[in-house]
Amino acid sequence: MAKLDTRRATVQSRRPMRDAIRDVLNQLNRFARERTLGRSIVLALAVALGALLVANLSTFVLVQRTAQFNETVDAQWQARRSGRVLLLNLKDAETAHRGYLLTGQSDFLLSYRAAIAAQDTLLQQFRTRIGTDSEGEGDAEIVTRLSRDKILEMDQTLDLYRQGRALEAIAAVRSGEGQRLMRELDAALGDVDQRIGGEVAEATARSEGSAAFTSVVNTLAGLLILVLAGIVFLLVRRYLDEVQAKQAELDRVNAGLEETIRNRTAALTRANEEVQRFAYIVSHDLRSPLVNVMGYTAELDQAGRTLEGALSNAEVERAVDPAVVTAIREDIPEAIGFIRASTEKMDRLINAILKLSREGRRNLVPEMLDVTKMVRRIAESVSHQLDQADAEIAIGDLPEMENDRLSIEQIMGNLIDNAVKYLDPKRPGRIEVRGRDVPGGWVEYEVADNGRGISERDHERIFELFRRSGRQDRPGEGLGLAFVRNSVRRLGGEITVESTLGEGSTFRLKFPKRLILDEVGETL
Amino acid sequence: MSTPVKILMVEDDHGHAKLIEKNIRRANISNEIVHFDAGQPALDYLFSAEVLANGPLLILLDLNLPDMQGTDILAEVKRDERLKRAPVVVLTTTDDKTEIQRCYDLGCNVYITKPVDYESFAAAIRQLGLFLSVMQAPHIE
Repeated sequence: MAKLDTRRATVQSRRPMRDAIRDVLNQLNRFARERTLGRSIVLALAVALGALLVANLSTFVLVQRTAQFNETVDAQWQARRSGRVLLLNLKDAETAHRGYLLTGQSDFLLSYRAAIAAQDTLLQQFRTRIGTDSEGEGDAEIVTRLSRDKILEMDQTLDLYRQGRALEAIAAVRSGEGQRLMRELDAALGDVDQRIGGEVAEATARSEGSAAFTSVVNTLAGLLILVLAGIVFLLVRRYLDEVQAKQAELDRVNAGLEETIRNRTAALTRANEEVQRFAYIVSHDLRSPLVNVMGYTAELDQAGRTLEGALSNAEVERAVDPAVVTAIREDIPEAIGFIRASTEKMDRLINAILKLSREGRRNLVPEMLDVTKMVRRIAESVSHQLDQADAEIAIGDLPEMENDRLSIEQIMGNLIDNAVKYLDPKRPGRIEVRGRDVPGGWVEYEVADNGRGISERDHERIFELFRRSGRQDRPGEGLGLAFVRNSVRRLGGEITVESTLGEGSTFRLKFPKRLILDEVGETL
Repeated sequence: MSTPVKILMVEDDHGHAKLIEKNIRRANISNEIVHFDAGQPALDYLFSAEVLANGPLLILLDLNLPDMQGTDILAEVKRDERLKRAPVVVLTTTDDKTEIQRCYDLGCNVYITKPVDYESFAAAIRQLGLFLSVMQAPHIE
């Protein structure tokens, strides 16, 4: 069992992570599969981004290549230049050499020596600049060799001259060997020039080609981006259209909803009004026949009295049947008595319904109420009954509220009347009125007594019209609490009862701190 | 007093009508009482040549009639140039405040609620009878 639990724990701990990943994958999968607008837009933007990247990359490569090309061209130009410089220097040396041979002046010899001394450096420079590839090395080799041969030739001639064999030296110059070497060197350098020129042309062509390629790539990418932008624009516009259409539909539905609510409210209000009107009409139309019943009962009574008056004459009494005497003296008055009592009761009931219906139609006027003061005044009005019942009433500090004065007076009055009315004669009565503010904008009041109490099964019944609870030894029609509950509900409040038979009852009222009415004067 | 005042009673409940008449008579009022139990015949009568010829008139009006509201008759009467001076006593079961106001607004002269309690009812009608015996009604011309 323990093992199993551990395993389950591990699995569970791993599960959230796995679930999360699966969720993400599922979402991606769904996103990729469903042809949604969002996906199309994202795709288009991704392709556009890719095109931009390709364009950038090709431009970058082009720039790199151009830089490289420029460097190569520069290097080759330097190489050509250093070849020319080398040749010029050698020609300078030759010129100085010839000058010395002709004049024997020593400053020619100095010039010659300086040029020869520089030649090695120039050769070295040329070798470096011409590059390390085989062609370059070959060229450098030839140039170096020719240059050395030339210098050797001139040095030999110079040696002859200085040994005093001037004629031999001039003959050596005249032999054309030195001239040939110079021409060869010139030709070799010309070859180098030509080769390098070819290479530069080739590189230029290559560079131009790649530039063209890059511009084509850029153009294509630009076009692609433009097309994609157009597509995205269209998609977004379609999306916006859809959103707008949905919004319009929503508005329409909302409007319909509002309309429905208005209709329902109107229907409810109508139904409510109808019920009120119905109660009112019923009461009046019931009253009308009652007038007849009571009226003709009275007439009958009157007629009965007339008959009875006739009976008071002893002769007449003797003359009539004893049954007739009984009928006139007992049966008729008894029947009339019952009819009267019933019609009077019916009248009271009708009046009660009328009162309820009227109360339901009365205009409510919310105002700030000093409930403590109001309840004190009500208590004063029942002080006589309290004294008689050997009872006392304690009124706490009751919170104020904004409500309809008359309704609250009637509600409180009814509850306190009831408390006094149904005190238990077996013990001294005590009635307490308490109240407090309740969070959320409510106030609560309690009317508690230690009276006879109400049986659990009657807790709902006592609030119904014409229903009463317990021993029917007190006058009343069963109206008070029905009326109270009706009023409390109309004021947006509620009433509950807590009671134990034989111990007492507590009626709890809850009202909004402020009564707010709608435009037709009904509680919101 | 040339011609005695005729009492026109519009009352749909025959029981009520009889009780009213009984109690008026008990107050020693012997004027002729014409009874209608619906609105339209009463209106037809009011606007007939007979009424023109027959001098002063007092109207006892119930408000809940089977074919129309008593207030409709009241309005018709008070709108008419000849009839508007005829005193109208509204005698009905309704003691609704707005209804009473409406009747006086329309020009009713007296509004009486029929008490359900017969003693009060009889007393009210008898007092009305006494009132009728001393009041002066204008001629219908």
